[in-house]
Amino acid sequence: MAAVSMTVNGRSVTADIDPRTLLVQFLREDLRLTGTHVGCDTSQCGACVVHLDGKAVKACTILALQCEGAHVTTIEGLANGTELHPMQAAFREHHGLQCGFCTPGMIMTAVDLVNRKGSDVDEHTIRHELEGNLCRCTGYHNIVKAIAAGARAMAQAPLRQAAE
Amino acid sequence: MAMTMTGEVVLPADRSIVWAALNDPEVLKRCIPGCEELQKISETEFQARAKVAVGPVKATFNGRVQLSDIDPPNGYTIAGEGQGGVAGFAKGGAKVRLEEVEAGTRMTYDVEATVGGKLAQLGGRLINGTAKKYADTFFANFARLVAPTEAGASPENA
Amino acid sequence: MTATGIGAPVRRKEDQRFVTGTGRYVDDLNRPGQAYAYFLRSPHAHAAIRRIDKAAALASPGVLAVLTGEDLAADKIGNLICGWMIHSKDGTPMKAGPHPALAQGKVRYVGDHVAVVIAETLLQAKDAAEAIVVDYEVLPAVVDPAEAQKSQAQVHEVAPDNTVFRWHLGDKAAVDQAFARAKHITKLSLTNNRLVPNAMEPRAAIGEYDPGTDSFTLYTTSQNPHVARLVLSAFIGIAPEHKLRVIAPDVGGGFGSKIFIYAEETVCLWAARKIGRPVKWNAERTEAFLADAHGRDHVTEAEMAVDEDGRILGIRVSTIANLGAYLSTFASSVPTYLYAPLLSGPYDIPAIYCEVDGVYTNTAPVDAYRGAGRPEATFVVERLAEVTARQLGMDPAKFRKKNYIRNFPHQTPVIMTYDVGDYHASLEKALELADYKNFGKRKRESARRGKLRGIGFSSYIEACGIAPSQAVGSLGAGVGLWESAEVRVNPTGSIEVLTGSHSHGQGHETTFAQLVSDRLGVPIENITIVHGDTDKVQFGMGTYGSRSGAVGMSAIAKAIDKVIAKGKKVAAHVLEASEGDIEFKDGKFTVVGTDKSAAFGDIALQAYIAHKFSGQELEPGLKEGAFYDPTNFTFPAGVHICEVEIDPETGMTSIVNWTAVDDFGVVINPMIVEGQVHGGIAQGVGQALHERAVYDASGQLLTASYMDYQMPRAEDFPPFTVGMTVTPCPSNPLGVKGCGEAGAIAAPAAVINAITDALGHEDIAMPATPHAVWRAAQKSQMRMAAE
Repeated sequence: MAAVSMTVNGRSVTADIDPRTLLVQFLREDLRLTGTHVGCDTSQCGACVVHLDGKAVKACTILALQCEGAHVTTIEGLANGTELHPMQAAFREHHGLQCGFCTPGMIMTAVDLVNRKGSDVDEHTIRHELEGNLCRCTGYHNIVKAIAAGARAMAQAPLRQAAE
Repeated sequence: MAMTMTGEVVLPADRSIVWAALNDPEVLKRCIPGCEELQKISETEFQARAKVAVGPVKATFNGRVQLSDIDPPNGYTIAGEGQGGVAGFAKGGAKVRLEEVEAGTRMTYDVEATVGGKLAQLGGRLINGTAKKYADTFFANFARLVAPTEAGASPENA
Repeated sequence: MTATGIGAPVRRKEDQRFVTGTGRYVDDLNRPGQAYAYFLRSPHAHAAIRRIDKAAALASPGVLAVLTGEDLAADKIGNLICGWMIHSKDGTPMKAGPHPALAQGKVRYVGDHVAVVIAETLLQAKDAAEAIVVDYEVLPAVVDPAEAQKSQAQVHEVAPDNTVFRWHLGDKAAVDQAFARAKHITKLSLTNNRLVPNAMEPRAAIGEYDPGTDSFTLYTTSQNPHVARLVLSAFIGIAPEHKLRVIAPDVGGGFGSKIFIYAEETVCLWAARKIGRPVKWNAERTEAFLADAHGRDHVTEAEMAVDEDGRILGIRVSTIANLGAYLSTFASSVPTYLYAPLLSGPYDIPAIYCEVDGVYTNTAPVDAYRGAGRPEATFVVERLAEVTARQLGMDPAKFRKKNYIRNFPHQTPVIMTYDVGDYHASLEKALELADYKNFGKRKRESARRGKLRGIGFSSYIEACGIAPSQAVGSLGAGVGLWESAEVRVNPTGSIEVLTGSHSHGQGHETTFAQLVSDRLGVPIENITIVHGDTDKVQFGMGTYGSRSGAVGMSAIAKAIDKVIAKGKKVAAHVLEASEGDIEFKDGKFTVVGTDKSAAFGDIALQAYIAHKFSGQELEPGLKEGAFYDPTNFTFPAGVHICEVEIDPETGMTSIVNWTAVDDFGVVINPMIVEGQVHGGIAQGVGQALHERAVYDASGQLLTASYMDYQMPRAEDFPPFTVGMTVTPCPSNPLGVKGCGEAGAIAAPAAVINAITDALGHEDIAMPATPHAVWRAAQKSQMRMAAE
């Protein structure tokens, strides 16, 4: 067993874990943050995307021990209390989800891509940037629409963004 | 899934030395990559244990190695089959021919290997590369062991 | 239409939890004291099990049990079942080989269940599984359905030549006559590629046993928890039906693959009692590839006969359907009654004959996957239609128009009576939305850039909303396919609707609430849809075959009618009028012709406090249930037009335009319906361009992860243009037809028709990968150069 400490959704956490524990297992099993999902074993599906020090990572591709001292944000930490993050609101408004399983990873990827590509990101770029996230329900059509709308909404909520 | 591979190597040693080495479990054990155990259980059969890794799948294989078509000192067919538990199975064989040439002995080999289970599912695309690497390692080890400068060295020092 | 009523694009109620990560899928649940199951799976496609040595595994740390098929047999646990009986041409019943949840004596596909290890942790269970030694005698394997009947390998003793059934439908003599007088005959050899459903949530199960009440609970990723309970109790014999509760909480997509009752949930329940602890299993993605029921996998010879005017005279089809190593829960129905009755498409075809041989192979079981039989039928009909039109030199749109059915109801020669439709309307609208008349201009523009542009149609029909119980019973179904609902009005006027349908992405919590809100005038936020728990919901047949709208919602509508009828009785007492004078409208009970009225909520309260009527006259309470059995299938239909651009240098196919015009009857929530269309198209395009489950000749699955099985991604698609036409369905009270499978049914033929159009009509198999398209493009260019 090994000790690990990190900040998850603004809360300091410390735990004794099997050194083999992946970040996604740590989040789901130790912290009971089950919004981060596991959809494959080969780092392809993107259902487990979280933010590690502000950047999107697949939580199945990193050991929890590697996150020592890091700041992790999961889907559960994205909303501001009861107020949805603009990207969460956009997914809902534009029907960017059906079964909801890929959704947390999609939203975390989307927020990261807007952070990198800006709020006027075009459709082609959005589609390209989603290469690491699989959805089997939506045909991506409404996900792309939601991300474009979420991106614009994020620009209109600069205070929220800065607070993150 | 199956793969095949052929190749040849010229070994700087007499054919009789090469043939003897090919029949020496201690030599084989040291040449087969990942081999942890190779015990002769009859004139033509060995019990073997080897660690094998194909891409993301690693496993310890337990199985038997059998010699057939034995034609001293011209060659034989060596075939093995192992169960790797959850990782699946691997089996394979090689026809090995020895021929005297000026520089020593030419060894030609004709390898056929099949894997199944997780090895095929996750390592499938890597199987050819991995098999080639294993074969290269085997023959490089073998060449070193039968080379005249090391022929007299005790196995422990090799 | 109100803001939340029928026809409104209401934003989904369920999304709040899904966008905040607070959905609850099976793997998110943990039960106190739970242990973990790990399955040791066969690495061989076909082998006899000589011996299983589990001593070392049992001695591993944390191991609670290592169980095999012998233990299962000793406990008299029954085999998994196939619930649809098919009879061969000669009248003999299909040959169903035994399907134990853990292999007994033999393994029949890579991934077959050999043993299960139950341990304190998952890692301990996995480590112990490594220590199980299985002595296999490897047997010859057969993989290719076209080879199965000639193979040395025999998958099941009961099925000589690996043949499950030799089935047929239609009038062979009439078809022979039609072909004899045909002016032109089109012949195609078609392969419907094998697919892996790949719902993003892998299957999972937690089995739990309570010795105090001698009862079981199963948490499972199911599309139909009541059917799971029925099969697990009545056939597999885990527990009596009233001692087994099945809960299917949030389920992350199904597409058919979560209809079936699998080995894993059976074993978790059984093992839970054996070890006295809850047992949890969650599939890894590779396990999903190995052991989820796959879809499609047909090899078909198809012919279409037409007269000198381009009218279709007949269709003749011969198919070999791969059913895998065991018959999954509904496997036998898919290539038979869900396939051949759709071979008429939307066309007036006087004679149709179809033969289907279902075969065993050493591959994963094959069962329903989105569309189930209907995509295979549509692919046959629409490839035939397109190629025939081209061979006759007719515009493919004109050829279709010429052959469309015009008068309804229409009896096809293959069972179905189409109730209503307007196929011309869908086609006309699709042609307009796709700007068909300017396609030539776009093609020339592409050619200037060195690209090949093609356009392809798919004019599909499907039979869904399955279906009338009597009808399916006569075709071999082991169950009735009605649906049930209960509408519970609370004293405060809020409502719970208990439905036997199950939502795993379809948005029932919203659309079903829209119906109730529309009918009862209750705000949508005061309505909760309850599903997925056999202890709460009365009964249900579940969600598949695009049936939740047509059948599930119709049951709710029927229960609502009963609530209103009862409400009128209560209102008559409250408003001091006769029951016949009470009308219910806009959420109010009114005495006709007066201003005396009472709101729905007030009547609900009065029904429960029961102060205004005596118990002898009227029962208190306001709660009604209904079972709804439809009178016919529903027949959604539509036209999809795919436009592709191919780079002949690389073989890359880009879909540049996609137009879908569907007739789903009355639409409850257009936003959700369009979403269903988008998703279906993507899966259909996946089949046409990307996806194929590949077994090598020895039966090893080579596409067992997302590294090797190509899933469609966002960049593979343009934005879709979706339009609708509406002919209300006459066979249910809502006029709805169902939309869940349409895209997956329509899309593959549209894509292949577009690619073959671009390539100058070279045939191409699915998936049309860049390599295959490049080769076809080379061939096509060589031929054109030669001409």
